[in-house]
Amino acid sequence: MIPQSARFRPANRNVLRLLSGHCLMALSLAILVLAAYAEPSAADSLEVELGRRIYREGILPSGSPLKGLRLGSIEVEGAAAACETCHRSSGMGSLEGNIVAPPITGRFLFATEDNRPTALVDVSAPKNVTRAHTPYTEQSLAKAIREGVNVGGRQMSPLMPHYVLNDAEIKAVTAYLRQLSKDLSPGVGDDTLHFATVVAPGVDPNQRKVMEDMMRAAFSQRNASQQNYSGRMRMPIDLIPRTLRNWELTVWELQGAPETWGAQLRENYRRQPVFAVISGLSNTTWAPVHEFCSQEKLPCLLPSVPLPPAETAFYPLYYSRGVALEADVLASHLRKQDNKATRRLVQVYRDDEVGRGAAQALTAALRDSDIKLEDRVLSGQNPSALKEALTGLSGQDTLMLWLRPSDLAAVGKTVKQAPERAYVSGFLAEDDYGVISKDWAPRVRVIYPYEMGDKRQKTLKLLNAWLKTWSLPLVDETFQSEVFFNLLFITDLTSQMLDNLYRDYMVERAEDMMSLGSNVSAYPHLSMARGQRFASKGAYFARIDQDGQLAADSEWIVP
Amino acid sequence: MLLNIMKIRSNTATFNRNKLRNHWTIILAFLTVCLQTEAYADSNPESSTASPKYTRSEAVYSLPNIEMLRHDQVKTRFPQELDDGRPVILNFIFTTCSAICPMLSGVLSGVQNKLGDEIQGMHLVSISIDPEYDNAERLKEYAAKFKAKPQWQFYSGSVDNVKTLQKAFNAYRGDKMNHSATTYLRASPGKPWVRLDGFLSSDDIIAEYHRLKSSHSSNTGGG
Repeated sequence: MIPQSARFRPANRNVLRLLSGHCLMALSLAILVLAAYAEPSAADSLEVELGRRIYREGILPSGSPLKGLRLGSIEVEGAAAACETCHRSSGMGSLEGNIVAPPITGRFLFATEDNRPTALVDVSAPKNVTRAHTPYTEQSLAKAIREGVNVGGRQMSPLMPHYVLNDAEIKAVTAYLRQLSKDLSPGVGDDTLHFATVVAPGVDPNQRKVMEDMMRAAFSQRNASQQNYSGRMRMPIDLIPRTLRNWELTVWELQGAPETWGAQLRENYRRQPVFAVISGLSNTTWAPVHEFCSQEKLPCLLPSVPLPPAETAFYPLYYSRGVALEADVLASHLRKQDNKATRRLVQVYRDDEVGRGAAQALTAALRDSDIKLEDRVLSGQNPSALKEALTGLSGQDTLMLWLRPSDLAAVGKTVKQAPERAYVSGFLAEDDYGVISKDWAPRVRVIYPYEMGDKRQKTLKLLNAWLKTWSLPLVDETFQSEVFFNLLFITDLTSQMLDNLYRDYMVERAEDMMSLGSNVSAYPHLSMARGQRFASKGAYFARIDQDGQLAADSEWIVP
Repeated sequence: MLLNIMKIRSNTATFNRNKLRNHWTIILAFLTVCLQTEAYADSNPESSTASPKYTRSEAVYSLPNIEMLRHDQVKTRFPQELDDGRPVILNFIFTTCSAICPMLSGVLSGVQNKLGDEIQGMHLVSISIDPEYDNAERLKEYAAKFKAKPQWQFYSGSVDNVKTLQKAFNAYRGDKMNHSATTYLRASPGKPWVRLDGFLSSDDIIAEYHRLKSSHSSNTGGG
C-alpha cells in the first residue's frame, strides 16, 4: 500500500506531462530492468535461447524461417535474414564501406546517460562513434525491427529488413540482446589486459627468445605510450575516452606429448585467464592449441606454425594454411602443365606431424590426376635412410622435398645427380638455401609463400627500423615479420575496440581489419573477411640464384 | 523539470522500506535520463542513414584487356566478355561480405526473376573484389545461393586484374572492406555506362534498365 503522501498530486501538471510519451517508455523500461533483477528462471533462459535462434540462425520458435523485407521488395529468409549477418555474433555491429550496422546489444540499445557505452562505428573516421539516443523500450525496439523506424522516429538504413515477428518473438529477441555482450570477457582486468603466447616443445630456443623479446618490447612500448595518453593527443582516436589498461604477457610453454597439451593449457588458463593468445610457435602440430582456443572461445591470432588444422573454427586465425597451401599450389601447377611432363612425382618427408600432414595434403590435391605420386618416408638420423629414399630416381622424375635445412643439405651429398625438377617447401626450408648443393640448386624450385626482392624489402623496412630501435637482432626475417605484424595488428584492434573488450568482437574486427592496416609482413598481402581463417592464400615458385638468393619464377599462384 | 523530480524524490523519501525506495530511485534515474535524452533523439546516428535513394550518372569507361575466370571455370577475356552485344547489368561483390553484397545480389536475383523472358537476351555480371578467396567453386556456390539463371555470371581473376577492372569502373576504394553499393547498366557495346550509386530495389533497376533501353532504341531508331 502506497502511503498517501507518496501519491502524485494532480496539481503537479509537470509531473503528469513527464509521465507521458517517451518518459512512459522509460518508466516501463525501468520496470523491466527491475524485473531483470530477479534470479534468471528457466522461462527466462528459454526465452533467451529462442531469441538466440532468431538472432543467430534466423529460425523462429515455431521452427519456421525468420522472414523480412529489404527495400520494400527483397525478401530475406532464414539464415540470410538472421540479425547476426550484419550485427555479428557479438552484437557489436559491422562496417562495410560507408554502411554501418550499429551495435545492438542491450548495453547500447537501452543505455542511459550514466552508463552509456561507446563504440567506433567508422574506423576510417575515428571521431565517428556511437552517439546518445533515447533508450529503447520493448515497444520502440519492436517498431525498429518491424518497421525500420528507430527510437528517434526516423527511417533506418534500407539494409535493415523489416521483420515479421510477433510479440512473443520480439520479446525473445529483446531478451537475447539484453544479455548479449553484457560482461567484458575473461582476461580483462580493471587495469590490465592479459595476453598469452604459446610455445610448443622442440622449438629452437633462439627463435623462442626472439619472439618473446619482440613481444615484451612491443608491450612495454605500448604500455609506456598509454601512460602518456592523458598528456598528449597523437591521433583523433586518442580523443575517445576509454579505460587504459596495461598489457601483460604470459608465455605458456608446453611440454611433452601433444596429447597432454590440452590439460597444460587449461591449467595455465586457470591460473591466469587471458583475453587472447597472440602469435605462438610450433615445429609440429598445433591442433591441441587450436582445440583449446575453440573450446575456451579464446581468440588465437596468427601463430607461426607450419601446419594449422585443416578444420577451421571461429576463434583461431592463421597467416596461411602452411604446408597444405604449398601442396595445393604445387598440385595446381602440375595439373596445368601442358606437356604433361610430370609422370611420376616422388615426395620425400620426415615421419613427423608436419611431414605426414604435407604429404597427405599433396596426395589429396593430386587425387584423380594423371600424376603418379610415390611417398618416401625418412625416419631417424641414419644417412642411409635418405639414400634409400632417393634411390631408383630417373631424370624424368619430379621430386617434392618436404624437408628442413639439415635434411636438404644432406640430399645433395647423398645423391650427386639431381632429377629434372625438385621442389622444395618454402615453409620448411627456413630461407636457408645455401645448404642446397651446387648440382641441385639450378633444378630446384622453391614453393615460396612470401614476397621476394625489392617489394619485400620495402614492406620490411619498418620491421628493420623497429628492431634497431629496440636493439633486437634480425634472425629469421619471415618469422619475425609475422610476429611484428601481429603486434601492430593487436594494437590497432584493441585501440579500435575501445572499451568493448569482447573476444568475439575482437575476431570479427580482425576479420574486417586484416587488409586495412599497412602490411608490414613478408607476405605480399593479407586479407580476411567474415568466416575466412587464412590471411595469405598463395605462393610463388622461385629459383635459387648463384648467390643463394631466391628470384620469382612464376606469378603469385592462388590454388 | 529537474525541480519536479526533486519533489518526487522528496516524496518518495518518506518510504521506510529501503528496497522499494531503491527501486523508485532507479525509476527516477530513468526519468531523469529521459528528460536529458529527449534532446538527443534527433541527433541519433542510426536515424541519419540514407533513405532508399540513389544517384544516377552516365560515364564512358575504358575497360582493360585482361583475363578473368568465370564461375563455370572458363577463362575469359574482358572487355570482349561484356561486348557480345547483350545489355549488361554489372556489380562488384564478394562471397564472404556480410551486409552490402547479399543485398546487391538479392536485388539482382529479384531483377532476373521479375524480368521474366526479357532476361533471355541480357547479361548480368558480378565481379568478385576478393578474387583470392572467391575461386570459381565458391562463386558457383554463391550463384546457386541466389538462384542465378544462366544469364547471370560471376567472375574472379588475379588481384591485379580485379584491381585494374575496379579502377576502370571508378569503383576501386583501396580495399574490399571499403566498397560501396554501385550498379552499372549498359545498353550495348560502345554506349556509355549508367552508374547507379546507392540502394536500389529490383524495381528501381528494372525501371532504369527500361529507361535505358527505350532511349537506346529511340537513338538507334533515329540514327
